[in-house]
Parts: sequence; structure tokens; C-alpha cells
Amino acid sequence: MHDIRDLEDRGVVGVGIVSAEFSTAAAAQNASLGYDPAVVFIPHPIQDRTDEEMRALADQAFDAIIRAVSASG
Amino acid sequence: MTNATVLLDPTAELSPVMRPRLARPASLEGRRFGLLDINKARGDVFLDRIEALLVRRGHTVHRYRKPRFSILAPTELKQQIAAQCDIAVEALAD
Amino acid sequence: MKQFPDGLIAVVKRDCPTCALIEPVLRQLAAQDGLLTVYTQDDPAFPAGAGTVVDDRELENSYHLGVAFVPTLIRVRDGSEAERAYGWDRSEWEALSKLQGLGAGLPASRPGCGSRTQEPGMRARLTVRFGGAIFAARSIPVAPSADDIELCYERGWTDGLPVVPPTRERVLEMLEGTTRKPQDVIGVIPPDRVECSVEKAAINAVMAGCKPEYFPVVLAAIEAALVPEFGLHGVICTTNAVAPVIMVNGPIARRIGMNARENVFGQGNRANATIGRALQLVVRNVGGGRPGEIDRACFGTPGKYSFCFAEDESGGAWESYALEKGYSKQASTVTLFTGDGVAPIIDQSARTPEELIGSYAPCLRALYHPGQVVDVAAFLVVSPEHARIFHQAGWSKQKVKDELRPLLQVRSRDLKRGFGVDDDAERLKRESPDACVPKFRSGTLNIIRAGGSAGLFSAMISGLGSITIGPVTREIGT
Repeated sequence: MHDIRDLEDRGVVGVGIVSAEFSTAAAAQNASLGYDPAVVFIPHPIQDRTDEEMRALADQAFDAIIRAVSASG
Repeated sequence: MTNATVLLDPTAELSPVMRPRLARPASLEGRRFGLLDINKARGDVFLDRIEALLVRRGHTVHRYRKPRFSILAPTELKQQIAAQCDIAVEALAD
Repeated sequence: MKQFPDGLIAVVKRDCPTCALIEPVLRQLAAQDGLLTVYTQDDPAFPAGAGTVVDDRELENSYHLGVAFVPTLIRVRDGSEAERAYGWDRSEWEALSKLQGLGAGLPASRPGCGSRTQEPGMRARLTVRFGGAIFAARSIPVAPSADDIELCYERGWTDGLPVVPPTRERVLEMLEGTTRKPQDVIGVIPPDRVECSVEKAAINAVMAGCKPEYFPVVLAAIEAALVPEFGLHGVICTTNAVAPVIMVNGPIARRIGMNARENVFGQGNRANATIGRALQLVVRNVGGGRPGEIDRACFGTPGKYSFCFAEDESGGAWESYALEKGYSKQASTVTLFTGDGVAPIIDQSARTPEELIGSYAPCLRALYHPGQVVDVAAFLVVSPEHARIFHQAGWSKQKVKDELRPLLQVRSRDLKRGFGVDDDAERLKRESPDACVPKFRSGTLNIIRAGGSAGLFSAMISGLGSITIGPVTREIGT
């Protein structure tokens, strides 16, 4: 999430894609950074997925990603 | 003295303690996307698909990759993203 | 206030030779059952064999006891302090303890050492930690892994240069630079029109790098900037390049080491650099006046980091700006005016005042535009070598102004519209093209002295000025 903050400081709108397993860790880190970057969570686990399943996860997450980087979202 | 450092807010305190996110554009039309692969397994497949979906919507897409997932993105990489993109998507942390 | 039990309290540190000398005395006192409690500031093993020895390396007890020297011996009676002795003095210690024959073989007296509570910066640290220092400003915790200077950048608190992180301890020390209460409101800061308290000013003064002794100057500068005649809102919002310029007069300038001489408008003097910066940070952080937002300057100027100096009052052949304005020599003042930057006038050959003002006039007439007479003001800064030419000829400052006036006329045919609409000037141009109008309306040209001892130069600081907007002077308080 440091990268997203740094990129936003450089004027680039950012969103991070994170496995749902990490939602608590991300929240703790944000509190200490004083910053709450846009995050889209996808279902855990990741490592054992087939290509087909990964593409399905991307399809499911796509609308949320678009919403996270646009004002209309 | 082991006190944690506390700073006093020098501002009029009109904005919340949490810094706001960068303002989002009203329209994504013509915005350039950068997909930053943090270099963990399976992230590339995910981002390939995101790229295809963005290109289908008419966006320019640049791809980047961190040398390792557990480090901060190198400064040169962030400078490059800032020069080439309006929007960055970083994936995939698990 | 912490309660201490009845009996004797001794506060010591091993590092103090007098404390080490009286170690046997402390043992003698400790031999009386329940009489003595020793607080040790640096080594819990010291003094050896002296009964109840409390480790006070954190200095909480020393702070609450208000200990300034070690050893200190205190008699507590009915829960409050009855008597106190500093250093070693047999008769005092015997009177206080009601015991005889203390420290046989020791010298009759020895001065003590400073308590660790007196170490630099310690008082503020202890007050924050143990004294319940209360601040109105919001606290922003710095994560252990974070860099506090970077945090200040990320929060948008800086002018681009690093700031000193405004810790509670530093702010407390800054507040000790004034007699004013932290919650006192100095005024309402544009453009967001937010009240600025003394505490908010102190936070920004810390960030600017001010010493506490500069703080009264910062407070007076903020007050002066808020006088409507100065027009701070316009100074912040204008497309022009002006910055608020702070000039300090009077004894405080020398007292806090301000620069009025060599490189007077340049870098290198802490007071000059940080007082000006503090005002700018207040405008930025409290008032919300940030470039790219409400600050619409086309060029801006390096003076928007900081533009602050002292007038050279040495010699005394000319009265200072503050004296001209009716302040006494004993008064310390700040004067706020708007300035774009410093434009030199170089004349290394003039030997007479007439020649010299003949050089000044065309330079002054050209400021902003040779045809502009509206909204233009200037401070003419005369260096010591140029000033000598006037002094030797017996020209007062007023005489210089009087002799310059006829040379600072603009033909109405050449008039240029100012920033505002000036219908009178337009009509004059049509009807009397050969008539003359003064470049500087009454009061918009000021003359001051500053600069290094070598250099046949003077300088102009141009800025915005009109019948309604002009320099503002305020006396510096405490």
C-alpha cells in the first residue's frame, strides 16, 4: 500500500488488488500511515488457482476496480 | 525517554486526520492505465485479463513489474509510471 | 501534584562530585528508621547502603519536586514541603534533619551540581510527559517505522523545504518565548478565514525553524499582516509576484541577532530566514493559502519562502523607518509591506547627492512599467556607501524624497493602465497629454538603509501599493 500512496503523491490515481485474507493487515497498516488507499479485495486463496479461475476472478473484480479509480464510482 | 513521537497539527484542522485519496477523475475516457505486477505467483494471469478488459474499453495500458513482491517499488519505476500513466492498478497481494 | 511521604527526601546523582562526597551522610540519615527516601537520577546503585533508594532515571520525581540542583534535601511535613537545602552544608543539613554530627571529616560545605532536569530541552520533555501539558491542536502520531520529516511533506505542511517536526516538546518551548496564552486568538487568517491561536502560530514557528526568542516577532508579524490596510488576502491571491516582506526595527533586531548588513536579503541568518518563513507557513497551513489553489501567482518569487530583514539603524544620520512613523528608539516594531524581489541600482561613480538621485530616478520610474503609476509602491534601500554621499552633503532622508519627487514624474501621454481601471488617468491622457503625474502617489515610496559596508549600490523592492493598501507597522510585544 506504500506504493499506492507514493504514486498518488505523484499524481497517479491508484488502486491495490489484495486477497481478502489481508483485509485486517491492510487496515492496520493504513491506520499507521494515516492514509486509506483504494483497495479491491478478491477471494482467498490465490496461489492454487487455475488460469481459468484467475481470469474469472479478474472478470469479477473489474467493475470494482473501475469504480475505485473514477469519481462516478 | 521512550515516548512515541507525536506531532501537533499546524493546520486549521479542516480536513480529517486520515489523508484523503487523490481526487478521482470524473471520466475515465482517454486515461492511461498502468498495471503494476508485484511479482507474486498468479498475478500475471490476473493482470493479463484486466489488461484485455481495459484495452477493450479503449484504454492505453502499460505493464510494470516490481523486482520482488516484498519491497517497495523502486523510485525509477514509480517515476516511469507517473510519466506514462494516469491510473495505476497494483496486483496481486495475498 | 504528586504526594510525597513525610520525612526527608534527598535527590542525588552519582555524576555529581558533591553527591559522591556525601554518600556517608546519606547512610547516616538512612540509619534513622523510615526517615529518608533517596531519589537517584543516574545510577540506581548509588548511593550504596542508604536505605530506600528510588530509581528516578526517568526524572518523574525530580520533576514533581522541582529539583534544580543536586544534592537537594527536602523536609516533608504533613504531606507538603517544609524546608529545602541545596548542595552540601553541614549546618543546614543538621538543622533540616534535626541530627547532629553529620559527615564528620567532610568539609563544612560544598556547592552542588545541576539537576538532570536542567539539561537542555529536558524541561519541555518532562512537562509533556509528566506535567499534563495540554494542547488544543490535534495530535498526529508518527508510526515507529515512519520518518517524521517525510510525514510533514506527505501531509502537505511544508513550503517545499524540510520543516522541523512540530513535536509537543518543541511547541512547548516555543510557547515559552511569549507571555501570551496559547489559546489567545491572534486574528483571522485568509483565505479560509480561520482563527489563528498563539499555539497554532507556535507550531508553525517551530516548523519554520524559529528559536523561542524570535516568537514575539512572529506574533507581531502575523498581527500586522492581518491589518486590513496590508491586504493579505490580495497578497495571497494575486497573479503578481509579491510576497509579504517583514522589516524589523528597534532593539529586538540586535537582541535576536538579525541581519541588517552584508547579504541582508540573502541566506544565512537564522532569525531573518525563519521569522519570514513562519509567517508564510501560517498563511499556508492555517489560512489555506497554497500555490495552485488560491495562490494564483504567475511567477511568484523566492521571497515567498521567506522575506525578512532588519533595517540598519547604525550611525543615526537618518532616522529609521519606525522613527519616521512615530515610534520611539526603544520600541521594537515589525513593518509588513509587499515586495516582488530585490532589484539593484548600480552607481559607482556618483560623488554628489544630485548625481545619485539622478541615477535612482529613471530606475524607479521604470518599476512595473515606465508608464505605470497605479498600484505601484517601492522601498528604496540605500547601502552604507551610497548613504555616506548623502550624509556628507547633509541631506536628510526627507530631502532625498523632496529632491526625487520632481524626477519621478510620468507624462500623462505615457501612462499605462494599472492593474485596476483608472478612469481619471485615461481622461488626463486624452485631455492633457503633456501633464505630469507622480510615479508614486504620496507615501508609496519609502527609503530605508540596509546592506553591507562595501558596494556603491542601492536597491529597489517594488510591490503593490495604492491609496488603500500600504505598509503596516506594529509594535512587538512580549
